[in-house]
Amino acid sequence: MKPRQRRERWWLCVAPLYLFTLLFVLGPVLYMIAVSFAQNTAGTGFRWAFTLENFAKMRDGVYLNCFRESLRLALSTTLLNVLIGYPFGYFMGRLGARGKRLMLFLVMVPFWTSSLIRLYGWLIILQAKGLLNNVLLALGLIREPLKILYTYPAVLTGMVYGLLPFMILAVYTSVEKMDWTLVEAARDLGATPARAFLTITLRLTLPGLMSGVILTFVPSMGLFFIADLLGGNKIVLVGSLIQDQMTRGGNQPFAAALALVLAVMTTLLLALYRRATHMSELEGML
Amino acid sequence: MKKKWLALLGAVTALALLAGCGAKKANSELVLYTWEGMFPPEVLEGFTARTGTKIVYSNFDYDETMLEKLSQAKGGDYDVVIADDYIIEQAVNAGLVSEIDKSVVTNYANINPRYQGQFYDPEDKYTVPYGCGIPLIVYDPAAVDFPIKGYNDLWNSALKDSVAITANYRVINGITLLSMGRSMNEEDLGVIAQAGEKLLRLAPNIRLIQDDNTQDALLNGEASVAFLYTSQVTQVMAENPDLKVVYPEEGLGFGIMAAFVPVNAPNKQAANEFLKYLLEPEISKACFEYIGYVNTTGAADGIVDPALVAPESAGSGEFIMNVSAEAEEAYNRNWAAFKAACGQ
Repeated sequence: MKPRQRRERWWLCVAPLYLFTLLFVLGPVLYMIAVSFAQNTAGTGFRWAFTLENFAKMRDGVYLNCFRESLRLALSTTLLNVLIGYPFGYFMGRLGARGKRLMLFLVMVPFWTSSLIRLYGWLIILQAKGLLNNVLLALGLIREPLKILYTYPAVLTGMVYGLLPFMILAVYTSVEKMDWTLVEAARDLGATPARAFLTITLRLTLPGLMSGVILTFVPSMGLFFIADLLGGNKIVLVGSLIQDQMTRGGNQPFAAALALVLAVMTTLLLALYRRATHMSELEGML
Repeated sequence: MKKKWLALLGAVTALALLAGCGAKKANSELVLYTWEGMFPPEVLEGFTARTGTKIVYSNFDYDETMLEKLSQAKGGDYDVVIADDYIIEQAVNAGLVSEIDKSVVTNYANINPRYQGQFYDPEDKYTVPYGCGIPLIVYDPAAVDFPIKGYNDLWNSALKDSVAITANYRVINGITLLSMGRSMNEEDLGVIAQAGEKLLRLAPNIRLIQDDNTQDALLNGEASVAFLYTSQVTQVMAENPDLKVVYPEEGLGFGIMAAFVPVNAPNKQAANEFLKYLLEPEISKACFEYIGYVNTTGAADGIVDPALVAPESAGSGEFIMNVSAEAEEAYNRNWAAFKAACGQ
């Protein structure tokens, strides 16, 4: 068989995937962009008449605040995940084969249950007559139940808990693949452990950290059901605003415009982040 | 040889397919589309046992989702839909609802006339009411040291961080308007903005905003006062009879859920038979005692739990109606601002 022919057949195998992507990914996105410029009417419908009103409306402080809250929550979630997940993944990567297997198993176990059910677990732990308050009361540390549920810290706990495994696994993968002889060489040449870590380990595991950051930051910009459940609907993220507008609010064009701005904002932030961390140089190493 | 086998295989497959089609016709299907948990299982099983029609129970979370799906299906796919009054008005206006076949639903007169002739179906052509809801205030007298009489009491600073409310933006805007002596369906943008201001002052008292199982907040100690849907009131009172129910003095919100047959329902005959079945007093009793909504089948008033028969004052309730796009938007904005203020 001639090489050229082979390549043509290979293309035939991939064509359905491209078609699928065009139809079910690009298609809806284009539709959403179109709707974001349409005009809302009373009830749930909208009219195909070009308007920028949906975007202009976002300058209202009420809606700007939703973007600010989403960004604040996503950034604090990601930061906490880096602080907890990096050391965790690092030490996990340094364990022996059995230890690694066990830890990997433990990190994966929560995925066997739906995330919604795990959140209900948190509700039961955190509520006024819940586990945490009962333990604190029994120990005499508090006299009255603390109001933990439906507060910002409760939401942050839920977010960090939900996304931590992604950070751990991303860091672990890059630590596991690392060539430790490089660190030994640095130490032989007189580098302090801290210097060897900063110049070699950290730099070589940076791609893992980067993908961990992306895997936690991107979803946390859109995850709103955690804030709804553990925050008692009191922290309005762009995600819940979009859902409100899509369902009860009956304003699909505004929902589409919000979704579009959220997507553009996330993309820009990621591009900025890649630039700041020179991630593209390291991409080949992952 | 191989060809023979293939022919045989083809014949068997064709036979199986034919048999499959035949079986489907004999046991006809009725697709029921409503919220989860709207029927006691024995009521649905009873219908299948009597008519041989299998009921496929399909769920939606929000009325708007239902309308969206129904309009995408061009009024087909579903045989009986049960939803809220205001969305039925939209469905009727969109031409998605077919008239009830009263030659099949011979017991249509079993409906309590109080729930008929409503705005969404003024001539009683399209719907069979399936329960009435009146959202009420419920509080724990042991945790609240003043008597609550109406909506305005929710603003009392003694209730800081201890009020749970449902999450319907029109209802919460509506009770704020009622507390100001206005209509729940106010169209005046200036008045809606005033209601928004007033809502912001309620924010410090809000412990949580939630539509599902809001009543749990009263039981698990998260809140001492709650503004609840009728079914939630029934449930929480069954669990803790020491709680107090308040019919707010400023006026009541009123909601009717009703069943209708979509215009292109695949099985209209069975759909109408199902509506007739629901209007039988014994079946109504079983349904309303299960969902905990006010009984709308007058013929069942004598046998249903007396707590589910509406008091005289229920007639004065106000419906949430559709408003202009501008007013809708102002209500939405109030809601987003209110929720954000609650989190501060």
